[in-house]
Amino acid sequence: MKGTPHASGSSRSAGTLIRINPLIEIPTLCKLNYSVDNQSVAAISNQMVERLDTTFHALSDPTRRAMLARLTLGERSIGELAEPFAMSFAGASKHVKVLEQSGLVVRRKAGRQQLCQLRPEPLAEAEAWLRQWERFWTSSLDRLETLIAAEKEETP
Amino acid sequence: MEIVVSREFAAPPEMVFDAWLDPNTARRFLFATAEGEIMRCDIDPRVGGGFTIIDRRGNADAVHRGRYEVINRPHRLVFLFSPDAEGDDDWSRVSIDVSRRDGGSTLTLRHEMDERWADYEPQTRRGWTEIIEGLAAALP
Repeated sequence: MKGTPHASGSSRSAGTLIRINPLIEIPTLCKLNYSVDNQSVAAISNQMVERLDTTFHALSDPTRRAMLARLTLGERSIGELAEPFAMSFAGASKHVKVLEQSGLVVRRKAGRQQLCQLRPEPLAEAEAWLRQWERFWTSSLDRLETLIAAEKEETP
Repeated sequence: MEIVVSREFAAPPEMVFDAWLDPNTARRFLFATAEGEIMRCDIDPRVGGGFTIIDRRGNADAVHRGRYEVINRPHRLVFLFSPDAEGDDDWSRVSIDVSRRDGGSTLTLRHEMDERWADYEPQTRRGWTEIIEGLAAALP
């Protein structure tokens, strides 16, 4: 995959970014997507959860990821996205539909052709969601480091 | 709608025709790509028989299936073709006519495509053109 798509503008979080308290245990974190039960955690809108669902579903297929990679190089016609004879027309159409439903790809008519364009905003949203977990792991590692250092001090 | 690709060959019709049904020759051009490697080229060259040709590209396999409908050596070959079919209703008809021309031949390939796949016509035409060029390179 040649390069990673970049958001064209700033990341739209629409005030729904979760702030994770490093002291929250893992089981509670797993529930966070579906309930707001901690005062230090902002609400995730149902809309955002749905968008994450369709974004990750779109990304979960290697053929679709290859199509997205091709689109990072610029607009492509629908025909160009499907490698000739590598997949059925129906299969290719289905993949493009999934990408459109996630908002990652938009189509426009140019003469007799349909041109597809990459829209990276859903990826920016998914990246923001993933970043939160990165902070959790970082703070976990920090705590682990602190614990190990403390243990070292205790042992003679 | 139909994709039609035509090409002249120096080789006689028998040679041009046989290339499609002989696995050793077919594997060099039929659904073969420069970057890929043909992992399987099974051909059962009789009416009702079929072919399975698998081209490995990177870490993905492109599977091509066919079912022979007409085998009239050396002038007419008709098969149903399906690329990497998940379902069973993605078959389209490919007809190959080979006629004698001076010492050589003229090959005309026709691929019948449903109107709703019109978006894929340019790429598919390019694909068949490359295959037929590959055939020319594979023949003496």
